[in-house]
Amino acid sequence: MKFAVLAGVVGLTTCVTCDSRSATLATPETFAGIGDAATRSAALFTELGKVLTNPRCVNCHPAGDRPHQGELGRSHQPPVERGPDGRGVTAMRCPICHQDANFDPGRVPGHHEWRLAPREMGWEGKSLGEICAQIKDQARNGGRSLDALARHIGGDTLVGWAWSPGFGRRPAPGTQKEAGALVEAWINTGAVCPK
Amino acid sequence: MTTVRMKINGRAYGPVTVRDELTMNDFLRERLGLTGTKFGCGAGQCLSCAVIIDDPDGTSHTSPTCIVPAASFNGKSIRTVEGHATNGELTALQRSFIDHFAFQCGYCTAGFLNEGQVLLERLAKTPVARDDLEKTIADAFDGHLCRCTGYIKYHEAVRDVVLADPGRYLT
Repeated sequence: MKFAVLAGVVGLTTCVTCDSRSATLATPETFAGIGDAATRSAALFTELGKVLTNPRCVNCHPAGDRPHQGELGRSHQPPVERGPDGRGVTAMRCPICHQDANFDPGRVPGHHEWRLAPREMGWEGKSLGEICAQIKDQARNGGRSLDALARHIGGDTLVGWAWSPGFGRRPAPGTQKEAGALVEAWINTGAVCPK
Repeated sequence: MTTVRMKINGRAYGPVTVRDELTMNDFLRERLGLTGTKFGCGAGQCLSCAVIIDDPDGTSHTSPTCIVPAASFNGKSIRTVEGHATNGELTALQRSFIDHFAFQCGYCTAGFLNEGQVLLERLAKTPVARDDLEKTIADAFDGHLCRCTGYIKYHEAVRDVVLADPGRYLT
């Protein structure tokens, strides 16, 4: 009896601290059973939303001018700022610490293009519908067409870092190829945004 | 393993082979015995470990060494705290740090000295208005942590070097 209670307490504690994010992405074929194209399109974007709202993406697409870190979106330490070009202020440029590749002994992620996404591409705290409208809006997505957006999500190497983030960081769900497939399927079904 | 060559305080080092996971801080302190650069937080936050990197375009910037691999410094020219004085003669900034009693335990001092020196060299190339000086100094030292001094005397020490030669550093 005592053991059962203890196990329950431990399980409850574990549950409180556990992360319920999925580590996988459904394939576009999974949504074939949704007959209405618009509904299917919105569902595909909702699946893609697992990637877009993952900390690997949101940490550098913040609402403000400071990136986040970790799984809980804590403030980046040291407290760096966007700077004039998204790569930090004069005395604390992103590439000073973030090298061309992850440096696991220092727990520092890396990529040669490491920087904050432009301010207009910040989607921290937004709903999936708002994020969808934002990434379709060429005034807010770097002038990208839908096809260019597909290439960005499915092929950009900085985006691809999210699936190889280095020691201590959980990868984005699925693979970049799977995310790219979802984007293309979403576009092919009319690029409808979830409500 | 990576073979590296670099210039440190004007002296060429290498070629020497280093493990890819060797931090620059360990390379300086353990391999080269240059222990003036400290290991503070090990997370790139306190900047006690910062050294000066002299870029090919004539500018300089500081870099932490605790979270950056030694291999990434291959081909670079750096200055550590050991490289400031010449033949035992202290720089104006070093003398100002002493005159202002700017440091106490000294653990953060190398980082502050390197950052202050980079700031002075930047101001010599791109002077600022007197009204902008306080914020310029504060921005330069932003990120350097000190547990002893409260930062004020570091700030004043740099400021007074600037004010002693306004024609060089101020518009």
